[in-house]
Amino acid sequence: MRFSGLKVLAEGLTGNKGWGAHWRDAQPKPEYDMVIIGGGGHGLSTAYYLAKNHGMTNIAVLEKGYLGGGNVGRNTTIVRANYFLQGNSEFYSHSLKLWEGLEEDLNYNVMHSQRGLINLFHSDGQRDAFARRGNMMINQGDDAVLLDREGVRKHLPYLDFDQVRFPIYGGLLHPRGGTARHDAVAWGYARGASDRGVDLVQNCEVTGIDIEGGVVKGVQTSRGPIRAKKVAIIVAGRSGQVAAMAGRRLPIESHVLQAFVTEGVKPVIDHVISFGMGHFYISQSDKGGLVFGGDLDFYASYAQRGNLPMKEHVMEAGMTLMPMIGKAKVLRSWGGIMDMTPDGSPIIDKMEGIDGLYIDCGWNYGGFKAVPASGWCMAHLMATDQHHEVAAKYRLDRFRTGVGIMDEEGTGSQHNLH
Amino acid sequence: MAELSAKTPCAGLLPVSAGGVTLSEVDAGVLTSLSPRRGRAEALGKALDASVGAKLPEVNRATGEAGSRVIWFGQGQYLLMGPDPAAALGAEAAVTDQSDAWAVVRLDGVAAEDVLARLVPLDLRAQSFAVGHTARSMLGHMSVSITRTDPDTFQIMAFRSMAKTLVHEIETAMKGVAARGAG
Amino acid sequence: MRITCPVCGERDRREFYYVGDAVALQRPDPDASDVVWDDYVHNRDNPAGVTRDLWYHEGGCGAWIVVTRNTITHEVLGTELASDVKEASA
Repeated sequence: MRFSGLKVLAEGLTGNKGWGAHWRDAQPKPEYDMVIIGGGGHGLSTAYYLAKNHGMTNIAVLEKGYLGGGNVGRNTTIVRANYFLQGNSEFYSHSLKLWEGLEEDLNYNVMHSQRGLINLFHSDGQRDAFARRGNMMINQGDDAVLLDREGVRKHLPYLDFDQVRFPIYGGLLHPRGGTARHDAVAWGYARGASDRGVDLVQNCEVTGIDIEGGVVKGVQTSRGPIRAKKVAIIVAGRSGQVAAMAGRRLPIESHVLQAFVTEGVKPVIDHVISFGMGHFYISQSDKGGLVFGGDLDFYASYAQRGNLPMKEHVMEAGMTLMPMIGKAKVLRSWGGIMDMTPDGSPIIDKMEGIDGLYIDCGWNYGGFKAVPASGWCMAHLMATDQHHEVAAKYRLDRFRTGVGIMDEEGTGSQHNLH
Repeated sequence: MAELSAKTPCAGLLPVSAGGVTLSEVDAGVLTSLSPRRGRAEALGKALDASVGAKLPEVNRATGEAGSRVIWFGQGQYLLMGPDPAAALGAEAAVTDQSDAWAVVRLDGVAAEDVLARLVPLDLRAQSFAVGHTARSMLGHMSVSITRTDPDTFQIMAFRSMAKTLVHEIETAMKGVAARGAG
Repeated sequence: MRITCPVCGERDRREFYYVGDAVALQRPDPDASDVVWDDYVHNRDNPAGVTRDLWYHEGGCGAWIVVTRNTITHEVLGTELASDVKEASA
């Protein structure tokens, strides 16, 4: 499936009946070189880069639902590289560079919009911390501009600068930060992988992982057994269940994170803005909806919906930051299931003690922007059995050894603190 | 040497009224926290009765009246309001002076229930929260103790450092209820 | 979600602070190996279904509570005082 201006025009005039599928809806074969469990953003990008960078195409991606139906289709679409700690900095920096070339690479419009991200700060101490973060971003080769109060006002004149609890002292502007159309990212990677020969198998639930003598042999699925030399678990949100099929427990608790979108309104918010009150953040989608969210509900959950007190808290934060938002009607809310690790940083690693089994998980509430680099680095690991240099610190054993804990928030490496 | 003058937690903030509801400060006198030693709750009750003539309440209940109250104050905790605790209580309970640590206010009026309904995640209507009932709960984001002391009166306690927020939250809700009633 | 505090009765979820999996009640021996401690501190069964976790009635009576709960439906199946659970297992 390819798009062109002429085709869009012709189809528009003839009832849009001539569009084909973007990717092959493949039937599972009995054997592959590699099987990727999970057809979300990370699974699809891993398959794509295995094919593109490493020439490996005898691969199946097994998805229990439909492509784009998980977290990649239900997130708040933010793309940024404003991390502070070594280990995260180089990874997200690499990811942002991949984002910047993604549409050309995939020949697919993922609506990547570098509209600028502004993290507001509310005290002198926070200003110091943000100045330091900005310097780290610049050292990494990314961009950061420390704005004072008047500097923020030029960008965001509509904020309430003088509310009592979180007065706005300034903000850290990350000009290359922005948003992308989330499900288009899944479709673009899916088409790219499928075109290179990867089988994308939907409605195929993995029910077991076959391991003999410490070596992975394949998987059992709702559509029959599939043999494979290498198997990757890339199922953020359900990592614990799938790892249990291999007899492993993970340093992960699944939590629900709510997000909200209003009815479409005229263009009013040009940036992505984050606020110090309960992690509140907001941007405006291309359709005009105000997309916003806050913190986790803070209890283990797979319900894909949250509770009212957190909704109330997020709305309160929005009203505190920009009272004008009160006139917009909330259209819908949803809850995504987050793989929460104790230190808030992810895992891209081999499963120690089981040859041929790999895991990519623990993306906390930041998985979307990581989709390109996660796939890039996971593909590198699966193809070469070596960690990619920008993901070298995402090791599973860091929790046992204490070496390389990446607690970006500085709250402590403990499950209920991120 | 500087002259320090004692002020109540809500000095200068109260009383305020709106829509027939009044919020005013309570002079709570001596406040004493009583935590009975393991298995000594009954003995504490007897000692309390003998020394100050007050009854130890059940969970979620308060006993006594203005000037001398005992409020259930949490798991294994009671708050004695008013009388000085007798030294004998120390044998049965951990006794801690809490005077001046709490902002204590009372909310009076027919619509007091409606005001608190905006702030507290509890059903405080009379059929489920009668005179003599008490609860530890939240008012907005604050931890509080709420007791119905009379049919249209609630006593509300929050940490002293939160006095201004307590007054602000309740006053805002009072005005909201009043505006709704007037409309 | 509403949780029944064994002391106060049924209360709104916002009065409670979530601590995490009730593994905290089976703390390993201080001299246990790093593998045992790593497993205790970090690794979780993380079930999709019935789970037991530890909550603190922070905005209420201050009790520590073991909540048996379904992570898929948010149904609360039972609550016990953590001290009772600990004593029963001692």
